[in-house]
Amino acid sequence: MKKFLLVFITLVTLIQVTVFAQGKRVSGRVTSADDGLPLPGVTVKVAGANNGVLSDADGAFSINAATGQTLSFSFVGFLTQTVKVGSTASYSIKLVSDAKQLNEVVVVGYGSESKRVTTGANSQVKAKDLQDKPVTGLDQALQGLAAGVSVTSASGTPGGAVSVRIRGVATLNAGSQPLYVVDGTPINTGSNAQLGFGNGVTNALNDINPNDIESMDVLKDAAAAAIYGSRASNGVIIITTKRGKVGKTNVDLDYYTGVQKAIRTIPTLTGPQYVQLIQDAVTNRYSSLIGTPTYPTLAALLTNGLGRGNLAADPSTYGTTNWQDQVLRTAPISNYNLSVNGGTDRTRFNITGGYFNQQGIVRGSDYKRFNFRTNLDHNITDKIKVGTSTSYDRSTSNRINNDNNIYGVVSSAILLSPAVPIYNADGTYGHDIYSSVENPVAAYKEPLNSTLAGRLLSNVYGEYKILPSLTFRTNFATDYQITHERRFLPTTLNAGAAPTNGSGNETYLSDLNLLNENTLNFNKSIGDHSFSLLAGQAWQKDNYETINAGGTNFPGNSIQRLSAAAVKTTATSGGSSNVLVSYFGRANYNYKQKYIISASLRSDGSSRFASGHQFGYFPAVSGAWIVSDESFFKVKPISTFKIRGSWGRTGNNFVGDFAARTLLGSGFNYNQVAGLAPTQLGDQNLTWEKTTSSDLALDLGFLGDRITLSVDAYYRKTNDLLAALPLAGSTGFTTYTTNVGSLQNKGIEVDLQTINVKKKDFSWTTNFNISFNRNKILSLANSDAPYNTGFANRQQVGSSAGAFYGYQTAGIFQNQAQIDALNAAARTATGSATATYQATLTSPGDLKFADLNGDGVINTADQQIIGNSLPQFTGGFNNSIRYKIFDLSFLWQFSYGNKILNYTRVFAEGMNTIFGQFATTLNRWTPTNTNTNVPRAAYGDPNNNARNSDRFVEDGSYLRLKNVNFGVNLPASVSAKLHVRKIRLFAAAQNIVTFTKYKGFDPEVSTFNNDPTQQGTDFLTAPQAKTFTFGANIGF
Amino acid sequence: MKKKFLYIILPALLIVTACNKSLNQQPQASLDASIGYNTKQGIEAGIVGVYDGLQQTGYMSLNYLVFPDMYADNIVWTGTFPTFSQVYNKTILADNTDVNTIWNAIYNTINRANGIIAAAPSVADPSFAKDRAIGECETIRAVAYFDLIRMFGGSPTGYNQSGGLGVPLRLAPTLTTTDAVAIARSSEADVYTQILKDLDDAIAKLPTSVGTGRVNKYVAQAMEARVQLYRQQWAAAEGFATGIITSGAYSLVSGANYATIYTGKNSSESLWELQYNATDANNLAFYYYPSNFGGRNEIGSTTSLRDAFEAGDVRKPVNYSVAPPTGKTLKYTQANPGIDDVMMMRLAEVYLTRAEARAMQNNLLGATQDLNIIRLRAGLTPTVAVTQADLITAIAKERRLELAHEGQRFFDQRRYGTTGIVQTFRNLFPIPYNEVLNARGVVVQNPGY
Repeated sequence: MKKFLLVFITLVTLIQVTVFAQGKRVSGRVTSADDGLPLPGVTVKVAGANNGVLSDADGAFSINAATGQTLSFSFVGFLTQTVKVGSTASYSIKLVSDAKQLNEVVVVGYGSESKRVTTGANSQVKAKDLQDKPVTGLDQALQGLAAGVSVTSASGTPGGAVSVRIRGVATLNAGSQPLYVVDGTPINTGSNAQLGFGNGVTNALNDINPNDIESMDVLKDAAAAAIYGSRASNGVIIITTKRGKVGKTNVDLDYYTGVQKAIRTIPTLTGPQYVQLIQDAVTNRYSSLIGTPTYPTLAALLTNGLGRGNLAADPSTYGTTNWQDQVLRTAPISNYNLSVNGGTDRTRFNITGGYFNQQGIVRGSDYKRFNFRTNLDHNITDKIKVGTSTSYDRSTSNRINNDNNIYGVVSSAILLSPAVPIYNADGTYGHDIYSSVENPVAAYKEPLNSTLAGRLLSNVYGEYKILPSLTFRTNFATDYQITHERRFLPTTLNAGAAPTNGSGNETYLSDLNLLNENTLNFNKSIGDHSFSLLAGQAWQKDNYETINAGGTNFPGNSIQRLSAAAVKTTATSGGSSNVLVSYFGRANYNYKQKYIISASLRSDGSSRFASGHQFGYFPAVSGAWIVSDESFFKVKPISTFKIRGSWGRTGNNFVGDFAARTLLGSGFNYNQVAGLAPTQLGDQNLTWEKTTSSDLALDLGFLGDRITLSVDAYYRKTNDLLAALPLAGSTGFTTYTTNVGSLQNKGIEVDLQTINVKKKDFSWTTNFNISFNRNKILSLANSDAPYNTGFANRQQVGSSAGAFYGYQTAGIFQNQAQIDALNAAARTATGSATATYQATLTSPGDLKFADLNGDGVINTADQQIIGNSLPQFTGGFNNSIRYKIFDLSFLWQFSYGNKILNYTRVFAEGMNTIFGQFATTLNRWTPTNTNTNVPRAAYGDPNNNARNSDRFVEDGSYLRLKNVNFGVNLPASVSAKLHVRKIRLFAAAQNIVTFTKYKGFDPEVSTFNNDPTQQGTDFLTAPQAKTFTFGANIGF
Repeated sequence: MKKKFLYIILPALLIVTACNKSLNQQPQASLDASIGYNTKQGIEAGIVGVYDGLQQTGYMSLNYLVFPDMYADNIVWTGTFPTFSQVYNKTILADNTDVNTIWNAIYNTINRANGIIAAAPSVADPSFAKDRAIGECETIRAVAYFDLIRMFGGSPTGYNQSGGLGVPLRLAPTLTTTDAVAIARSSEADVYTQILKDLDDAIAKLPTSVGTGRVNKYVAQAMEARVQLYRQQWAAAEGFATGIITSGAYSLVSGANYATIYTGKNSSESLWELQYNATDANNLAFYYYPSNFGGRNEIGSTTSLRDAFEAGDVRKPVNYSVAPPTGKTLKYTQANPGIDDVMMMRLAEVYLTRAEARAMQNNLLGATQDLNIIRLRAGLTPTVAVTQADLITAIAKERRLELAHEGQRFFDQRRYGTTGIVQTFRNLFPIPYNEVLNARGVVVQNPGY
């Protein structure tokens, strides 16, 4: 205490001295020694004084100082410089950049710290790597940039869903996405759509303008993420938006515009080829019927027996429509962003407005968004600071049916017969009247499928410095979303034609998420000992309400509001709420910034669980040792050698709001009388899913940290997995939500950053990251009973989550003798005189499936794991090159070893019914084309050739040139003439080159994107686009 | 100092208490199962929910209604679903998802009925008609178990034979996770015992009139007649049928108005039909009709069914339409919204049941009379069958024509031994693969699959 007093008195005295010493005005300009550009925001202080000033946009500063005093100039990323005040009043300061990575600042939960003392595994992506990318959402911008972060767009639909996975899949639950925290507020993500568009969903993350982002910090291990406790087991992504900077007001305009095109189209049959295939298929299936009195000819069978008179003529008489060409287009994309940034040392502001307009490469789809944001910080006194981050955005999109849906635009373009014309002679849409597949042109032109979304994301905070070392902060936040969907299917569509006479739906959703957080922060250094303590409490409530109404029989197609519908078919409303109550704390200690330890604990209580199971505890401990700071460390080329390790626990409560209860649901009506029925079987003991993670890492810097390498090895084990466990249907329920088992992820991440060239006129940096993750299910409920999900996924102990399961093909039967021999063997093996190896109607040209259990017959027991939907490794390779006024960056991104179930081919190569077929079916088995792996055409597929098998499981590996951006910074002389601060012109391209063996539109696909148990499936999903843009960044 | 400490601690405590209290959130569109059926209003709504169970797509709103005709000779597959083509090709795989849906929907309905039967006795409200409530649910539970037996149980050679396979018999509701444990299949005979117990109890408890679209005493009796026919208990079948016929509660619609049995609702010969309306619609016409009539053209009538009708049969155009859309049935014509009712029991079936039961008991005169009532109504001449064997064949054929598209054909073929399926194990549908998998083998697959 005495010591403390002494220090205090000395301090006070010093301040006094400083005050007395203030005499003259010293000014000057701070620039970067690297490129000579002004450095705004540099902290300029008189040594020993408490407050200082910041340099303005031109790098200019002005401060009171006395001769003989020392001025210090410090700025993130640069070495601090000191200057003794002499007789001159003006100083030109050139700051030298500090390549040492450890001096960067990283954002952590409820604070930030220098990278040097970080003990957790974080990846930071900065604004420069996010901006100017032609993407809708910030999640897409993250792709390929951070080790261990795998980003997959579910489809190419504008505004569609994106899946982000950090260090593999740690759950079997739909809640597999990371927690997003925007300026301290955990936000809602996912889709708010109520109307089904196949699997085409919306993405609430699109509500954040990528241009507003200062940095995205990915918290990957438990040490970093556990402070977010119960929602952190899929990792946390902290988004920090740009805040106002002291200095002259800067106005920046960012703009780009460009075009998008489908990555590829898939060749399909012509009309004559298609009709020939159908006729072959019918002949193959019903050869014994053709020529009988009932069906003297194939045409008679088609017309009278199968109701397909439209396919009975000579194939050569049919025309051809290439439907993919009809529905895909070269589509424009553009983005405008205006920001005003500035402030004084008391008040700082950043005001931005943006407009984004994207048309989809699939006709009929688009996405428009405008948004504005105000970030404000104000120091009321030296002790009290208040501020806000407030953004509002509104998006309108026209969506298209897609994915897992035969009424969609892309799906009907694949599945409708090419022999159907676009229009009939009378101007109406061409249809195959015996097929429910919609005319693709009608499917994009006719329906109204609009979605309007609005979101207010706002927080206000207040900070009070109780003591110089103790700060109290309170944060009130609201995340308010509304989503209004409208659908109208006019009479020109199959789904709206008589007797429906027009069909309409409207839905409305509002979701209010309120948060209050209060924290106390204590920071203190005593000698070589630094302490940092955090204690906090939070309360968050989410409440949503929905309305959905629908009707049919409209008076024509002009009035599309439901008031005009004569028959009301739907009228529902609903709502639900959940609350999360949290208490948390963290302690950091370091000695000489060399030995660092940290521990945190969070306790979360969730209303989703039954009383007694509501609270979960999520601890973490971590430590680091900067070996290179030791005096004994004398390895010349190694400039940094840091070891860090962590252990911790995170959780997941992503289940239904009342998943623990057995419920009777409403709406089970009969004869217009209200009914109730059991809807949910509740597990009283339902509790948190818990992931325990260990991380051991090495951060290395070479040659003055020009080369830095981080290697992380981790092991994550998830217990009490929350999932919908399938039940025997005879119980009356098909699933219930419970803690089903455990799984593990283990992996290695490597992040290599090199500054290849660093000269005044030429610099080149590269960043290479690669992540290897292995996922394995360790245990499942019911004594490890496996269960099936999705089209062909299976959860099975020893396999990875969402592995594919099915039959294994073993070639094609070339002749009847082969089939007869197997059937004879099947009869011997089973003792049944009618047994067959596969099916009674198996014929030459059909697929042979492998008899895996050797019982002589093919049945469900002959299935096995036939592929892993998770990649063996993923990564990215990013380059930034600057030469004089030119800059170039390009990013390669890759995924290796993941399999895709190409379910589109089950239909488009099924050759069993009237769906349009891919051109690959030209190579189908016939008695004269026997050297093929495509089976025969057979109407109705009596051999079930299209069953789930390795036939449709494909290699999904790819290497993709994801982004290229080439820019020109107009020289200062030019921009000065134009009276602007800076001008940069750029041209960019996205997804331009892709190397893959995958046969679908695009290997980057995931129809059921969010569900880890159904991943890696491609079913009639809209393709990604390649995009070419050019634009400008202009500063006024 | 102490005071200051209190200033901090007290608000902190208040915050903690208030926050933790807010963890108690309540559902807004559901009820906790433990209280839902405690009141008269609640349990009456629960009974409505049992009827709604029958209207699931897997059950009478589609799959269970059309598969028995498609697995036989009345419905042709003309569509695109591999799950349907497997049924039509008689190559059903155990993992056929539409067969799985049937199994799940029927057991879901049974669980709803079990919930009411368990809860009804303890509802205290004296105005609650307990007997009627229990009788309705017992009837539906009996129908549901019988439907399971017809599709998944019995023997390859028919029903009620020794060694016939049954299904898991669950008579208590699944309320907790400990209830949700799979149980093994009972024998076919044991399931019949329960079905008859339920129906007998329902007959004792139900009044003769309950309400439109609901089951009453006659429905329970007609169902028992149907069950006894499958069990070859001819006298019992005849007895129940006679009771309904002589009650005079129902009368056949005239031949001239035959189509109105289906285009209208609740005709004079309808004992029980499932009620559909715009907000509670089915997919039947949508699955039959081609796209230019608002459907998806998945199924149609076979030419074999068309050719089975004699000239002048008023039922022929109803079962094989002449005017576009051709080759469909006129029993389901409302593609959107699908408001066609589904026949659960008609007087015509009761006549045919009695005809068959009488013929089997060698009451050829009585059998001929009943058969001719149906034939004459259809605009045909009296039957020419004279011998017992010919008469039984004629009744079987009449049953096909009268009840086509009403979900009975394949089961009748099984009774007659005329399915014509070479691989006789396929006379039983496969127990869904997911059931066997998720019951961890406690529920055993039918042999051959």
